[in-house]
Amino acid sequence: MRCLHGLLTAWAAVTVTFFGLRLGAGDPLAGLLAQGLASPDQAEALRHGLGLDRPLADQYLSFLAGLFKGDLGHSLYTGLPVLRVIGDQLPSTAALATCGLAVAVVGGLMLGTLAAWRKGSLWGRSAASAAALATALPVSFTGIVAILAFSNLLAAGAPAILTALRQLALPALVLGIASAGAIGRVVEAGLSQSLAAPYIAAARARGIPAGSRLLWHALRPALPPAVSLIALEAAYLLSGTVVTETVFSRPGLGRLLVGAILQGDYPVAQGVVALAALFYTFSHVLADLLSLALDPRLRREG
Amino acid sequence: MRSDRTYHPLLLLLAALLAALAPACTGAPEEPVTLRYGLTLAPTGIDPHLNASAELGIPLSSVYDTLVFQDPQTGDFVPGLAERWTISADGLAYTFDLRRDVTFHDGTRFDAAAVRANIEYVLNPDHHSQKAAFMLGSLEAVEVLDEYTVRLVLAEPYAPLLDSLSQVYLGMASPEALETWGPTEYQFHQVGSGPYRFVEYIPNDHLTLERNPEYAWGPSIYEADQAAIERVVFTFYEDLATRAIALQSGEIDVIGEIQPRDAERLEQSGDFVTYPVRIPGQPSQFLFNTLQAPTDDLRVRQALTRAVDRAAIVETVFGIFSPVAEGPLSAVTIGFDPGSPYPAMDLQEAAALLTAAGWIDGDGDGVREREGQPFSLHIVAPNWGSNPEVAQLLQAAWEEVGASVTVEVAAGFGALKELQAAGEYNLIGVNFFGADPDLLRTTLSSDGLYSWSGYRDAHLDETLLEASRASLDPDRRVALYAEAARITRDRALLLPIRDYVNLVVASSRLQGLRFSTQGWFPQLIDLRLAP
Repeated sequence: MRCLHGLLTAWAAVTVTFFGLRLGAGDPLAGLLAQGLASPDQAEALRHGLGLDRPLADQYLSFLAGLFKGDLGHSLYTGLPVLRVIGDQLPSTAALATCGLAVAVVGGLMLGTLAAWRKGSLWGRSAASAAALATALPVSFTGIVAILAFSNLLAAGAPAILTALRQLALPALVLGIASAGAIGRVVEAGLSQSLAAPYIAAARARGIPAGSRLLWHALRPALPPAVSLIALEAAYLLSGTVVTETVFSRPGLGRLLVGAILQGDYPVAQGVVALAALFYTFSHVLADLLSLALDPRLRREG
Repeated sequence: MRSDRTYHPLLLLLAALLAALAPACTGAPEEPVTLRYGLTLAPTGIDPHLNASAELGIPLSSVYDTLVFQDPQTGDFVPGLAERWTISADGLAYTFDLRRDVTFHDGTRFDAAAVRANIEYVLNPDHHSQKAAFMLGSLEAVEVLDEYTVRLVLAEPYAPLLDSLSQVYLGMASPEALETWGPTEYQFHQVGSGPYRFVEYIPNDHLTLERNPEYAWGPSIYEADQAAIERVVFTFYEDLATRAIALQSGEIDVIGEIQPRDAERLEQSGDFVTYPVRIPGQPSQFLFNTLQAPTDDLRVRQALTRAVDRAAIVETVFGIFSPVAEGPLSAVTIGFDPGSPYPAMDLQEAAALLTAAGWIDGDGDGVREREGQPFSLHIVAPNWGSNPEVAQLLQAAWEEVGASVTVEVAAGFGALKELQAAGEYNLIGVNFFGADPDLLRTTLSSDGLYSWSGYRDAHLDETLLEASRASLDPDRRVALYAEAARITRDRALLLPIRDYVNLVVASSRLQGLRFSTQGWFPQLIDLRLAP
């Protein structure tokens, strides 16, 4: 049932993209017409050659049919298969998103736990404020601040290791911090609630040590909402990569998507969105399954 | 001397770790002299024969040689791969005698058959060429007369042909490489005969060129015989905000399309030099719609022209680097006529013209009326090139003389075309770049693709068509374009704003930076990088 729901979501996303791009974005030939070089006849011939003069419904059906066969078509500009164009950029985005997610999860758990465990103290309050600040700051801002702050480190002649740091660690940090804030706040909320619960007092009375109380008894029930959020954040990270990749001039799907939309390269834009929709759906289903595994109560209700 | 700074132990650990790892990661003991060049967009498709982006020409103009080159100083065409050429009296046949000493980067020889193979590759309808195929006029045949003589035959005279043949889009590639890789893969394996060879292109990441040590057939416009910089690495910076930062952090040595404010700031630091490169073609401009009231009245168009201080607008929006435009062509374009400048601001004259046209503010509300209709104007501005900011200043200026003005911003070229098709505009912003003034036909001829002023004038059409065909008489062309500029000004068909300037900022270590006639493409061979 959940999978079916997921597939339906993916289909809706792909369909909206298909029509949205054609109605909203520019004519893929506009760029060339803008050069004033193509006569209307020549532009029409080009349009026909690319299959853009067929009825929209017709184009949509062949797009869906292709999608089922795993064929996303060819870029209008280069003629390269869309799967290959995406494949070339995917590893870079996957690396960024994975590292970003790791930063988000580790940072979020640390911030949230600290904020709830030391509530009211300077440490607790600082952690809570840091989480709020991290959520509020846009990636485009923190990215530029990070580049400026580390610019000496990255200047000409820097050893390759530092270049690698700039290429991955810095963008991942910037990308992860934004999500870490959100995760931290959810962990804090859940943990504060469970720390105040009677069974924690009971555990304390039984002499269970503080660390174990926190990690095993209090944190576990606080996790399901955090896990759902992490799955959501994983999907948001993918959209965050659009900005991060642009600010850091990194290759990847985000920049591919922006370029494809601006230049009206429909097949490529559709391909990236289809992939993102599938990923989004997948991470949601995964989050549901994880929550079920973590919280037995949900299993009974479900 | 002892430093009094203290280091956090963690930082020291990190430094030790980095120091340990660094030698393992840096490969070659001696790095070749490398220039890092920032590009402002990551083009989709970089085969110049098939793709249209101007950005691709920045690296690739140095990978390819062209049959002829255009001297950026004089505008004259000089020999390139063609040692000499003749144009038949009817302007229909161009015969080129080719150099015999040219080899492509893959070792194959350049000859007349290669010219034919290149043009056939560009014109192959299955290849969907977006630009090069449209630069050849009415080309009918490419005849190989002997091993080193080739003739291009046209159906109609086409004066811009040499200009086309001097551009990277019609650069000569190794026919063997074109054949081997085909239209989709060739862009990753480009083979020309220029001063730099193509090493690799990773989309959205980088493009690398390396010096061609065999190069010995450069045109006279190249000062150096051989490139001094061994390697050039191009990276992409679409985001305006990141360009100045990339320069400052030392990530790149040079980049174009910098914001005027950033350019001023960088130049003041002393580490950077600004090169305002003027781009030939049309200035940023707004076309008057001559079919829509009230701009269907010549007196209104003249009054609106008189009511704005264009110099002040240019300085406000574009800073100190942009020249004010004085006609339908920018001042660096062939055919620009310094003899017909636009009238200066004169508010009294503007008011008098409007009153003469029947627009009078009868009820004293600040807006003129005629026959109960308010004097309202609608401006459509594309969302690039600071057009919206210019439109706002025009709005303010025209409200001063009693107009009620609305501004609509078009997000992208598709949206602009839709708003144009709706026809509800009095002014619309549109302009095109190119070194040959024939591009005026697209906006000013009544059958032009973008004749958005709606103005029909057989004399103007005839003038522009004749100029397009006057292949053998450059002076006559210049005179014809001066005539077209005069008609444009007298009929107030458009409001020119500023000549487009590509603000290139480079490290002060970089010497010898010069650009092609088109304005976008650097001559990489002449660059030197001081230590």
